[in-house]
Amino acid sequence: MKYIIYILISFNLMTFTISAEETRQVDKHEHGVGELNIAVEGSTIEFEFMIPGADIVGFEYVAKSDEDIAKINQALKTFDDYTNIFTLPSNSLCELNGQKVALKEEDEHDEHDDHDEHDDHDEHDDHDEHDDHDEHAEENHNEFYAKYSFECGNINAIKEVNFPYFATFTNSGELEVQFISNMGSTSFEVEGDEPLINTDGKI
Amino acid sequence: MLLKLTFNSLYARLLTVGMTVFAISLSLMLYMSVEKLRTSAYTSFTDTISQTDLIVGARTSSVQLLLYSVFRIGNATNNITWESYEDVIDKKEVAWSVPISLGDSHKGFRVMGTNNEFFKRYKFRGGQSVELEQGNSLDDLYDVIIGAGVAEKLNYSVGTPLIVSHGLQSFSDHDDQPFRVSGILAKTGTPVDNTVIVSLEAIEAIHVDWSTGAKIPGQITPVEEIRQMDLSPKNITAALIGVNSKLQIFQLQRWINEYPEESLSSILPGVALQELWRIVGVVENLLLGISVTVIFTTLIGMTAIIFSSLNERRREMAIWRAMGASPKVVIGLLMLEAFIISVMSIILSTLMLFLTLYVLQPWIDNTYGILVNIEMLAVKDIYIFMLFIIAASLVSLIPAIRAYWFSINDGMTIKI
Repeated sequence: MKYIIYILISFNLMTFTISAEETRQVDKHEHGVGELNIAVEGSTIEFEFMIPGADIVGFEYVAKSDEDIAKINQALKTFDDYTNIFTLPSNSLCELNGQKVALKEEDEHDEHDDHDEHDDHDEHDDHDEHDDHDEHAEENHNEFYAKYSFECGNINAIKEVNFPYFATFTNSGELEVQFISNMGSTSFEVEGDEPLINTDGKI
Repeated sequence: MLLKLTFNSLYARLLTVGMTVFAISLSLMLYMSVEKLRTSAYTSFTDTISQTDLIVGARTSSVQLLLYSVFRIGNATNNITWESYEDVIDKKEVAWSVPISLGDSHKGFRVMGTNNEFFKRYKFRGGQSVELEQGNSLDDLYDVIIGAGVAEKLNYSVGTPLIVSHGLQSFSDHDDQPFRVSGILAKTGTPVDNTVIVSLEAIEAIHVDWSTGAKIPGQITPVEEIRQMDLSPKNITAALIGVNSKLQIFQLQRWINEYPEESLSSILPGVALQELWRIVGVVENLLLGISVTVIFTTLIGMTAIIFSSLNERRREMAIWRAMGASPKVVIGLLMLEAFIISVMSIILSTLMLFLTLYVLQPWIDNTYGILVNIEMLAVKDIYIFMLFIIAASLVSLIPAIRAYWFSINDGMTIKI
């Protein structure tokens, strides 16, 4: 069973309390639990990872020292090659045709595509009020985001997906997987001692 | 020759052997029925909803949302406003949606407000649709469609009038606005069988004279007046949603979960089912553990019975030896005996299982909504049987070795 840790609101979001209509809410963020979404449609399969920084580089504060920055860059580089994270059976003939790798810091929380909807965002952009922001740097959370899209010659051959992820990142915990295809949706919990999911009959 | 000898020897001890076979069969049957119920419950569960990509409701746990929206178990913590629902279905990713409104009941059966889209979009068991067996769809404001289970248990037919009660266990009825059964659905084996379906407008209509969960005293708006009113729904309990492309589903899910104007949750039904099953899995494993223990106990029981018969059978063995059987043959005979006992037990247990399932199937279906398929044994069962036979033969080695020593020491003369 899982215990979801809800973290208190970040200071940036607290400014929104002034506007009464704004709902306050924060994404869940649980160290040791990465999220993975897999969607299959036709011959396309997409993988979307959202992994707490702690699981990847061991810290979540804003990297300032050269050493920390190097760690983050190294991690991003590791994500650039998807085979460090997961592998697909070679007979599925899948070709990577799009990928996006990023480090999402909580301060950028509102970086949705629908930026315009939040016109109250600017009103409260008075960052100066919060000079105590840095003191609470240790309360920061960041997340590695990676999305890979494949076009497959024989998508039904994907009977399992392996995750070198657990070997690549020694701090990693489990991966919670949401999976959907035309056969329906299901979920998996993957851990380092058995780093694979069985998708036989699910695609 | 050896086989015939063993059979005859077993036959000579018909009562004890019969009891042993019966005990082992019962334990094997226990194991198989637990296994059968487990897999049937799982398929019944997962078959309840298919082809729905997302379920949207108020912010709650995924399991709870699934339980109240699909299985009609438990209650919603909150409803969601119609405005939010419209915002969600206006998203370009959404292909279709079915709004659902819950909260009232009729004689213990849940009343669900929805629209005719429900009958088109709600699918179960790998894509089957719910179908009207009799009557018509929801055309009039006071039309209801009832599930097969409701029709059967309450003995309703098309045209039967009925009154909806307020809430799930309350004594106040919406008796000023009687409904009429307009259609009866064919049996689905899902919670739809036990649901009374009305239109969303009807849910609004019966609550016209209600305010904050209580009837406004003395106020009864005439039905004719209600029919003229604007009855467009103000809130719903949940919505089933289908997307245009599976690739957009997580994006839409995130958008809904982060929807700033209202706290919403959206879940993938299959994911929530898995989550639920993991919780149920603890009990399931417990049951499985118990039945495996029972099998072990009977195996030990079988050994004990062979053991205790050894003393009585020293004469028999002496005769075997006199007939030219070597001590090794004595071991073989006893192992063969265990083998025959286990094979007979397996055959008997399978027969008993099918008989029990055949007798209990309608009852399980009616009471728990779990359809147990009576089908041929699965490959897994065959493995279990083989494993059991091997285990039984191995366990019988213990008394067999003892018999071996007896026969070496006793030879053909028994000193009892």
